Amino acid sequence: MKEKSISNFRKKAKRTDKIAKGIISLGGFGVILSISAILLFLFYESFPLSFSASITEYLGWNASTKKVLLAGIDRYNEIEYLLDENGKVEFYRIKDQKIFQTDSIILAENEKIISADKGSLNDEIFAVGTNTGRIITAQIKMTPFYSRDERVIKASFAVKAIYSTTDSSTLPEPIYKIQYSKNEEASEYWAWLNNRNELRLRIYDADEEKFYNYNITDQLGNSKTSNFTISTQGDHLIAGTEGGELFWFDLSDIEDVQLKSNWRSSKNTITSLAFLIGDNSLVVGDAKGFLQLWFPVRSSNNEFRFKKIHDFRKHKNEITDIIVSPRNRTFLSIDSAGELHLNYSTTSNTEIEFKPFEYAIKTAAFSPKSDALILLDSKNRVGQFIVDNEHPEVSFETLFGKAWYEGYETPEFVWQSTGGSDEFEPKFSLIPLIFGTLKGTLYAMLFSIPLAILAAIYVSQFAPKKFARIIKPTIEIMAALPSVVIGFLAGLYFSPLFEKHLVTIFIAFIALPLFFLLSVFCWRLIPEAKRRRLPSGADMLFVIPFLIFSFLVAVLLANTVELFFFSGNISQWLYDTLNIHYDQRNSFVVGFALGFAVIPIIFTISEDALSNVPYSLTSASLALGASPWQTVKKIILPAAAGGIFSAVMLGLGRAIGETMIVLMATGNTPIMNLSPFNGFRAMSANIAVEIPEAPVDGTLYRVLFLTAFLLFVFTFLINGVAALIGDRLRKKYARF
Amino acid sequence: MAVNLSGAVTNKINHLQNEKIVIETKNLNFYYTPEKAALKNINIQIPEKKVTAFIGPSGCGKSTLLRTFNRMNDLILGTSLNGEVLIDGNNIFHPEVHLEDLRKKVGMVFQKSNPFPMSIKENVIFGPQVNGESKQSVLDGILESALVQADLWREVKDRLNESALDLSGGQQQRLCIARALANKPDIILMDEPASALDPISTGKIEETIEELRNNYTVVIVTHNMQQAARVSDYTAFMMMGELIEFNDTNTLFTTPNKPLTEEYITGRFG
Repeated sequence: MKEKSISNFRKKAKRTDKIAKGIISLGGFGVILSISAILLFLFYESFPLSFSASITEYLGWNASTKKVLLAGIDRYNEIEYLLDENGKVEFYRIKDQKIFQTDSIILAENEKIISADKGSLNDEIFAVGTNTGRIITAQIKMTPFYSRDERVIKASFAVKAIYSTTDSSTLPEPIYKIQYSKNEEASEYWAWLNNRNELRLRIYDADEEKFYNYNITDQLGNSKTSNFTISTQGDHLIAGTEGGELFWFDLSDIEDVQLKSNWRSSKNTITSLAFLIGDNSLVVGDAKGFLQLWFPVRSSNNEFRFKKIHDFRKHKNEITDIIVSPRNRTFLSIDSAGELHLNYSTTSNTEIEFKPFEYAIKTAAFSPKSDALILLDSKNRVGQFIVDNEHPEVSFETLFGKAWYEGYETPEFVWQSTGGSDEFEPKFSLIPLIFGTLKGTLYAMLFSIPLAILAAIYVSQFAPKKFARIIKPTIEIMAALPSVVIGFLAGLYFSPLFEKHLVTIFIAFIALPLFFLLSVFCWRLIPEAKRRRLPSGADMLFVIPFLIFSFLVAVLLANTVELFFFSGNISQWLYDTLNIHYDQRNSFVVGFALGFAVIPIIFTISEDALSNVPYSLTSASLALGASPWQTVKKIILPAAAGGIFSAVMLGLGRAIGETMIVLMATGNTPIMNLSPFNGFRAMSANIAVEIPEAPVDGTLYRVLFLTAFLLFVFTFLINGVAALIGDRLRKKYARF
Repeated sequence: MAVNLSGAVTNKINHLQNEKIVIETKNLNFYYTPEKAALKNINIQIPEKKVTAFIGPSGCGKSTLLRTFNRMNDLILGTSLNGEVLIDGNNIFHPEVHLEDLRKKVGMVFQKSNPFPMSIKENVIFGPQVNGESKQSVLDGILESALVQADLWREVKDRLNESALDLSGGQQQRLCIARALANKPDIILMDEPASALDPISTGKIEETIEELRNNYTVVIVTHNMQQAARVSDYTAFMMMGELIEFNDTNTLFTTPNKPLTEEYITGRFG
């Protein structure tokens, strides 16, 4: 009976053991699983950044019209129109490829449209030129209507203006090529090339309601004009010649059109020219298939000159057309063999190279959202394509390398995610953020490592025990202080205080150690016999008046020093003599505040490590005649090195991941300089700052996930290394 | 050379009259807590270049007494002491005395071997280095002679730069002896140096002590009465913080003066 109860008891104990083991293992695996899941999720959300673009044909049919000159598509990719040489405009419903509406431009007998150009990236407004020298401006509207919850796109067509380039008395001058722009102020610009190879310009000033006409042929030198383009806002006209020269006309002063500069871009005939969205970047294609990007850069004499920024992948044949995306800096280059390249300007990447049809491409157009493409070949085949190019602005090079953005004088690391206009190009270099994180960490560590470790040494080795019993928990409580409170104090209270008393702080930095040394010297002056009789900890109390005195000295001297050395205002002086701009919320303040958060971690762990050095080693060292400091230096510090290393690494991990303090105590400007008087933007703060700006699944959203992923990897690596090395160092002493 | 035997110890130790006294305590009282004395009025004279053993039951104060000789008890918080400890006639508690000098002169070997986590060489030269010796040739000389004296040279001379922690327990303890010897002390305190060792290692330690007696004053605390009988010239028997009997080892073990001593050495308690 008794034996049975014992065996039952054992069984029960075994069962409890098993259950406990199960629960503990479950917990452990749960932790590992959730961390892996977080890492995986961060990666999953940022991974689409690396997807390359794709263009897929999903519909193709033969157009009924011959010689199509212009095509367009509505923003829902439901209808499209084709304009042919006879002025006929046919609207197709894409899903069944049926014509549902036809309009036309009324032309005279034998009059044919021989050139056409769209005047805006957002509206379907265009100008056509005829063989009789007439320029007809027209607009197509494709507006959605909702009837019974169903979307119907209605199309309308209207001719806006007709202009004859010649009188009826003279011979008609066919318009071989036309370029047209209508800007936001409703001013219009027409430029055309006629049969006499004259480049003419007509401008409508919407403010004054006046027309201006120019013939700028004379300014183009001897070479024959081969191509030209007007920027969408009408500020610039660029003309290219058969000799490979480019001429830049400034149209911003409508009454006085000036040739601003001219230069040679290639040896070959310029066959294609186009401004990308934003009117800054000019894409130049030539007869040999070379494709270049130029934009104006401030030169040494403070004038803007076009500069070649990128070469794109070369076409094998003459470039016949460049189609610009209305959404971003993507463009399509088309060559005479029907080969297409999808390029992105900033990365200079050619994302896709493809040949949709057997024959050459006649006409091409992006949809307003840039997610679809219509292409027409010379045999009138219409192809409808889906463009999947979600994040063209991001590549490994732009994220981690220097990119040459429009308006910048050199390639730079820039983080600027949002701007004022639709034409703004987001700049996603992670380098300034990584730099910011490291800078903040560096300053925090400069401040906290010496303080924390020295304090740990003092508390564990020298301080009277009753003193240590108060200090340690006090410093540990510092760790419990919410970082938002520290950040708040640092940003709103300390940074103005720092700015006001900068000189005081500098003097204190020098005076404090000096007075400390002085106090040590004075302490030594007291005879040892007397010193011995003082209660332990008296040395600490002895130092305090000296420190207070050093602070007083700093306060008293500050005004005089500032007046005498820094002409009364140190931040002004810094700016004038050293060209250092003093930001109120700077790395100095952050180092101080972040250090405050990091000190408890480093202190506590270091103190534990130092206290845990076996007493037998300490006593062995002391028994050999080593002084307490020699013992600390030669025995205790090496023995505790593993623990101290772990402490520093954990502090580093905390500093890297810390958000609120760096968010509140810096100006969050993503600049890259090491100056302690400037702020920075850390990765963690960047995520917090940018969240409201980041639409789900957008590029910024994914870049933020990438930042989070990197941050995670950073801290993971640091903690991992800390654990590994700390463990190895600790093992050395494990036998004690 | 006044022999002041008062208090608990009243027996005369005639043999000491031929010896030069190195350590002498006068009315030494020691307190771990103010209420209870761990050493009560100890008066003892320890002769030069002899091996003196302290025996007694656990907690009798023999280690405490040993540790007052190099003031290791100073490290323990809340202790206090009165009376005098004279080494070479100087009170070591005098304010002018430098602890580091005292401890250089009075070396110590602990119960548990405690080599530093460094190489064998670094362990041995640690003492001379912290006491200001930096010349490599001198240090090399000290290294060899200390290891030879501790009877370890033959075993480690080819692995001086290996970690001391890779040595066996007995070797580690002899390394600690060598480390103490490297400081060229006059006195070596040994606090149960063989209590954690196997009989063979113990034998080696005892051999080492045997060799040291010619050049050093050795004070050894031991639990093992056979060991005390084997290695020591003089033996002090302590109990409850008092020095019960101090005599030359032979006399103490064969014809003890005090009944308590006899009871202890015959194993009736302890």
